[in-house]
Amino acid sequence: MKVGANLSLYSDVRSRNDSAWLLPKAPGFPHQLRDDMRRYDEADEVDIVIVGCGAGGGTLAQRLARAGWRVVALDAGPFWDPETDWVSDERGSHSLYWTEPRLISGADPVPLGSNNSGRGVGGSMVHYAGYTPRFHPSDFATFTNDGVGADWPISYDELRPYYEHIEQELPVAGQDWPWGDPHSYPFHAQPVSGNGDVFINGCERIGIRARVGPVAIANGRFGNRPHCIYRGFCLQGCKVNAKASPLITHVPDALAHGAEIRAHCHVSSVIVDEHTGHAAGVTYFKDGVERRQRARMVAVAGYSIETPRLLLLSTSNRFKDGLCNDEGQVGRYVMVQGAPQTAGRFESEVRMYKGPPPEVSCEEFYETDPAAPYQRGFSIQNVSPLPITFAEHVIAQGHWGEALREYMRDYVHWASLGSLCELLPLRENGVTLASEVDKHGLPVANFSYSMCDNDKQLMVAAQSKMEQILRAAGAIETMTIQRFAHLVGGCRMAASAKDGVVDANQRTFAVPNLYVADGSVLPTQGSANPALTIMSLAARLADHLVGASHG
Amino acid sequence: MVFIAKDNRGRTPGSRPPRFPGFDVLNEVDRWDAATAGVVLARLSPSPELSFFTGVEQATAEALCDQLLAQHDDPRVPVAALIDVRLARGETDGWHYADLPPDGDAWRRTLAFLDDDATRVFGSSFARLTTSEQASCVQTVQSLGKQTWHELPAHQVWSLWTRYACTAFYSHPWAWNEIGFPGPAYPRGYKNMGLDKREPFEVASQ
Repeated sequence: MKVGANLSLYSDVRSRNDSAWLLPKAPGFPHQLRDDMRRYDEADEVDIVIVGCGAGGGTLAQRLARAGWRVVALDAGPFWDPETDWVSDERGSHSLYWTEPRLISGADPVPLGSNNSGRGVGGSMVHYAGYTPRFHPSDFATFTNDGVGADWPISYDELRPYYEHIEQELPVAGQDWPWGDPHSYPFHAQPVSGNGDVFINGCERIGIRARVGPVAIANGRFGNRPHCIYRGFCLQGCKVNAKASPLITHVPDALAHGAEIRAHCHVSSVIVDEHTGHAAGVTYFKDGVERRQRARMVAVAGYSIETPRLLLLSTSNRFKDGLCNDEGQVGRYVMVQGAPQTAGRFESEVRMYKGPPPEVSCEEFYETDPAAPYQRGFSIQNVSPLPITFAEHVIAQGHWGEALREYMRDYVHWASLGSLCELLPLRENGVTLASEVDKHGLPVANFSYSMCDNDKQLMVAAQSKMEQILRAAGAIETMTIQRFAHLVGGCRMAASAKDGVVDANQRTFAVPNLYVADGSVLPTQGSANPALTIMSLAARLADHLVGASHG
Repeated sequence: MVFIAKDNRGRTPGSRPPRFPGFDVLNEVDRWDAATAGVVLARLSPSPELSFFTGVEQATAEALCDQLLAQHDDPRVPVAALIDVRLARGETDGWHYADLPPDGDAWRRTLAFLDDDATRVFGSSFARLTTSEQASCVQTVQSLGKQTWHELPAHQVWSLWTRYACTAFYSHPWAWNEIGFPGPAYPRGYKNMGLDKREPFEVASQ
């Protein structure tokens, strides 16, 4: 915490969002708030029904509830209690992921589940590492400036105030940030572990900048949230309540302001009135029974796989090919970041399982390098695979049997870096409905993904830079696993209906009271982890909706 | 204190000479939270009565997992039994390759194919082959890479087998003893971060 800044930061945050002070001082979730939660009848026409309660839906619910809206948010998964539902164990954290069936295909199929898909209140931020970088101003006009990707219908400047607000509410800790739009963070950076030391040393030796952060874990107490205990299980859900997720950063305040968050509700369609052409609510399955919730407005926030799937499932006479899909844009341009991870073997013990996996970042190679044969770039961050994930790294080298066991016995000597490469949005990459169905009989998503040449060149360049850093830090051996991270796109924001599903205010072009409030609206992805941007967009959307309702 | 029999302390799979002498994650059980202790300790004794695999499949799966993880001596982490629990519950990774059937079916079919290969090449079921014959059958699948094996993409079959096998093996406290990983860390956390820094309960690698 920066000296002298406490009081003004706290009062500023609490004027928008009291969540950190509504949590119990003991571990867990405030059960009284849940017991006292307002409950609407399904015949009530609420002001808005929100589908999905993660980064987008959770933030939107909090903002609108605080503005006095009657809000119901539905989530397919559980309403978590971090103390009793989550475990400090890699294998035991299976229930945090979206594990309903999904198919993956294409030339470069992208694993889902633990990699990028959440389920339950808090969404995938429950098991994200905790990195919360901003996008760079250059991300908003890559088509104009780099000749690739797409231009956003909004600029960085329109998002900046929301970045600042959300960074305070999470809150984010990190060193002063020199890249993109230079800025500082509300909390000083965390101390780093051996894994972070290796990264910083390597960068120093080759003369590039690295910075600690930006990580959504307060360096200190924050409201009733305790200090991080550096136990290293950020990707398994933070039992401590130190790492931010909407479950603890926005949901408590939403409940305190009268939002209803209905868990274990799998939304099966958006209802559109055939006469008015307006959304009238949703249908959903709860305990195997199909129910309805009426609403004056609907916001879909199911993320890049489930949001397109829901729109494609919501067919009617008017929308025979799926809701808002007149231009064939639903489910298109889904993006993942190329995320090769390179591990280095050191004489010293690194014990990378200690400390939060998110520690140090480098955005030196984020923008297009005019000397390189590819457009756009990549970032590099610490990652710290736990044993099961590290075994995947070893298997990826072709080892099995004795060799696998021997590499794994050496686990404490390895440090790891991960890259995020800006893979380009391609129309063919995306979500369609499969013939396979889920337990409700609804067709599941088939996510097809194939890389283009620019993508492949970026992955190679990122790997080579990570190897260089690790060697400079003293690694005597390196190994790299090719993988992907994050999801965005699928219902992108565009200036006109022929290029996207929603407009600059995230309203669907086809249905005037239907909004998309998650990462699927992103037209490009930069080399930044998307959580902060998704939350900031949701906060901006809320301001727009509240402003519009005041006329 | 959770009861741990004397001959069970500091145990590693196959009782190999330890790289972390005396290190036993189970010494710390009293400092684990209840939710975590529950799921981790259950892995020490999965039911020997499998509920997903048939008898023949069980034999093949056990032999395959022993190959993948070089478990040639007792005590063995019960990898096939832990996979059986997962498949019986339908606890998938949340995706499957479009070219493979859903995980449960994919396991049944590929175990049968492995047995077919064993019978064709060595004249006996996979589970009855010698260790080196089994290794040869397994290597065949890995070596095919992106080519097909019994009409399935071999590298996707390899991914399925190794994901399930490694997830089971490296979730087991005996495997953590072998690699020096202390396992659950809540509410204890860590105090000594940095290169070559250790907690009192961590043991230096030999």
